Amino acid sequence: MKKTFSLILAAVLVAISVAGCGTKSGNTTPTPSSAPTDASTPTPTAANLSGGVKTGGSTSVEKVMTALIYQFQADNREVTVDYEMNGSGDGIKNTISGLYELGHSSRELKSDGSEDGLTATAYAIDGIAVVVHKDNSIATLTAAQLRGIYTGEITNWKEVGGSDALITVVTREEGSGTRSAFSELIGFKEAEILTSATVQDSTGAVQTTVSQNPNAIGYISFSDADTSKVNTVPYEGVAVSEAALKDGSYKLKREFYLLTKTGSTLSPAAQAFFDFVLSAEGQKIVSEKGLLPIR
Amino acid sequence: MTNKTSILSGRRTKSLVERIMNIIFLVCGLASVVSVVFMTVYMVVSGGAIIAETGVFRFLLGHVWNPGGSEFGILPMILSSVLATLGAVLIALPVGVLIAVFLAKLSPGKLATAMRAFIDLLAGIPSVIYGLLGALLLVPAIFKLQAAAGLPNSGSLLAAIVILVIMILPTIISVSETAIRSVPKQYEEAALALGSTRLQAIFKVTVPAAKSGIVAGMVLGTGRAIGEAMAVMMVSGNAAIMPELLRPVRLLTAAIPIEWAYSSGLHRQALYGIGLVLFVFIMVINLLLRQVMKKGGAQDE
Repeated sequence: MKKTFSLILAAVLVAISVAGCGTKSGNTTPTPSSAPTDASTPTPTAANLSGGVKTGGSTSVEKVMTALIYQFQADNREVTVDYEMNGSGDGIKNTISGLYELGHSSRELKSDGSEDGLTATAYAIDGIAVVVHKDNSIATLTAAQLRGIYTGEITNWKEVGGSDALITVVTREEGSGTRSAFSELIGFKEAEILTSATVQDSTGAVQTTVSQNPNAIGYISFSDADTSKVNTVPYEGVAVSEAALKDGSYKLKREFYLLTKTGSTLSPAAQAFFDFVLSAEGQKIVSEKGLLPIR
Repeated sequence: MTNKTSILSGRRTKSLVERIMNIIFLVCGLASVVSVVFMTVYMVVSGGAIIAETGVFRFLLGHVWNPGGSEFGILPMILSSVLATLGAVLIALPVGVLIAVFLAKLSPGKLATAMRAFIDLLAGIPSVIYGLLGALLLVPAIFKLQAAAGLPNSGSLLAAIVILVIMILPTIISVSETAIRSVPKQYEEAALALGSTRLQAIFKVTVPAAKSGIVAGMVLGTGRAIGEAMAVMMVSGNAAIMPELLRPVRLLTAAIPIEWAYSSGLHRQALYGIGLVLFVFIMVINLLLRQVMKKGGAQDE
């Protein structure tokens, strides 16, 4: 009696786990339930496309890239676009080695020869926002002041027109694209960053740290800056905003790139994705995500 | 009645089953051995690369961590880890032992049961929760101290120590309590019969007799403290500088996840090297624990 029961139980468990596996693998194949507007009348190219496109790299582009991939896969049901998030460095390296057909980078390619053989195509501009605590209403910071703060020459807010309090410098970790973009734009070497600066390993962690510390200063992607948590500081007298990024008056910005191997032809699916990112529809998604479209 | 049951019936199948099961158990047992051996070899090989590159002394005793400039000195992180762990154990040990004495000897039954349930719960809380509460409540609470000391507000070694104290307390309490409980009642009764007070009997007789168990709890707590990454990463500020109580520090454990995502080449090898150093730390602590247990066993004989 007991034996039969346990046998049945075992059978049920196996059945459940098999069913569980089934639904799981069903979920990973990207088949969005809501059909996009043009899916009912697929374009001839879209109907022919199939296969997988391996991409990877910068984590800074995550928000916009996942949105782009989602829409592209909805339009092209047979295509799967993978996106491994492991940083611009790996994106560049793995595109050179051929592991990725398309790489993602949030920084320019180095010109020292170590990253030759790639073509970087910009598709979006991202502003870097300097953020401080909600209670800190510093009027503006110049590049020189930011350089001073981040290299430890300026240690008190009163030296830059604020109240008398020591500055808590918050920075990103070694290797972060935002960190290298920030130091390059402001004009100091990454090695010069104050060694006692608090290090956080993500945009969210920087924002949280700054939102809790009345004397802290940090830098994050403009698209991630949440003004209900932190204040953004005008850079060289210009407040960060989409308009200021678009007309070029706000200088603290970087570009997001798609990387391809120079001179090689992409697979039809990869080419279609590349074209989609730069198409009107793709660029609309870029601007919906708080970035400045390139076209 | 022809159906006689005998312990000899089906002897052959039984012994076959026994043998097969033996093999299965052996394989299961070997699985853990193999994984430890594999991990050791893997860590030594991948972590050894950076040490071969920079040399043992420049890696372990270097003051500057600047991967961009190919400087991989992890002394600040080693010292930070050691100090945070030492500080946490020094605070948690007396507190934990006193709580264990209370639970084992002094508290009324129901209260002890309830308290034990809470302590077990404390041990089961995911470390990220500790980190979250630490970052939201503990770190701002230390701001005033930092301002008084003329330092900028930030995460600090002190915050890491406080978080670790809370995290290792359950381990120290439960191991110490078990040790105290296992001391024969007669010891205490003899002391009482000789005219000592209840507390004298506990602290002069029972606790010393439970010494080896308490030390084992301490070593286990040390192991947990030195291996903790998530919670300390969220409260310590992660600056790779020489440790000071009220300044941000980066512990060995936090150093790996914080830079892992974007690291490559020598930088990644250096992170493996940090892993190897941690691995060695944990091995030493384990050996220490075995030694303590062995001594404790010999004492009981």
